[in-house]
Amino acid sequence: MTDTATVSLNEDQRDCYQELTNVAMGQAADRLARLLDSYVVLPIPKVNLIEANDLRMAIQEVETESAMSAVCQGFIGSGIAGEALLLFNDTSFSDLANLMNYDGELDRHGQLELLMDVSSLLIGACIQGIGEQLEIHFNQGHPVVLGQHCRVDELLQNSVNPWTKTLAIEIHYTMEQANIDCDLLLLFTEDSVAKLNNKINFLLD
Amino acid sequence: MATNVLICDDSSFARKQMARAIPKEWDVEVHFAGDGVEGVQAIREGKGEVVFLDLTMPNLDGYGVLEAIRKEDLPAMVIVVSGDIQPDAQERVKKLGAMAFIKKPIDSDKAREVLSEYGILPGAVS
Repeated sequence: MTDTATVSLNEDQRDCYQELTNVAMGQAADRLARLLDSYVVLPIPKVNLIEANDLRMAIQEVETESAMSAVCQGFIGSGIAGEALLLFNDTSFSDLANLMNYDGELDRHGQLELLMDVSSLLIGACIQGIGEQLEIHFNQGHPVVLGQHCRVDELLQNSVNPWTKTLAIEIHYTMEQANIDCDLLLLFTEDSVAKLNNKINFLLD
Repeated sequence: MATNVLICDDSSFARKQMARAIPKEWDVEVHFAGDGVEGVQAIREGKGEVVFLDLTMPNLDGYGVLEAIRKEDLPAMVIVVSGDIQPDAQERVKKLGAMAFIKKPIDSDKAREVLSEYGILPGAVS
């Protein structure tokens, strides 16, 4: 706890991150809504500076006891790096398959295919949406499946990142007419937070 | 006489962005509300002849504000300014009586365009 002064977040900055995320997640929701032909309920995103080992605490919205599947994908641009993590509630697959007119068998493999489709859409649109507003072009790495049908703690164990502090943005997506429930976490590295804050301060001036 | 303009958004950053986007040539008095409840109250007080309204807000969201305006028959021209750009959202707010919909992030060109289109901005050539 020695360097809390270097990585910090004041109320104006938090508000600004929240608003940038609000716009980006709206763009992502719009793409998902058009794909599924359904209305996506948009929450108020949560922005927090947390210790990376407290990642589980950052996940407030999902039911941590239910079985989940998760994908993570790194991103980097203008010296700012992070990871996007999509946690998908396993009970969501049958409705998702219906809305996507998926007619294959909904086994482990079929679920994986749906999971990859949704995660690339949501993660891509959110990351690019935030990047656009900050004039950063983010390059995205390959998506990695962290696990299928696991508990959240097991999934988070697999996403071991070496940073101590992280800026965590959480977006909880649900659908109005269908039982689809997923949580998108954007985690920025400790080193990126100062650079991001500079960009944010410029917008706040 | 200056037009009473209300900016209703829970984000202070978004309120500032919106205030900056108001065309300089427009004679306005700008008021602010931090959520829908404050927004409705301000409209009742006559501070919202033109309202720039966000949708996703705590306490009372933008849909709720539109419903209240309709229910109480309040005199307000509402322009929704939102990040929720789903076709459904745009359709719903129009049905609830919003005059126009502007995608966030807002800038003065977009604001000027919509205000001119509806003849709110005086002297504008559309």
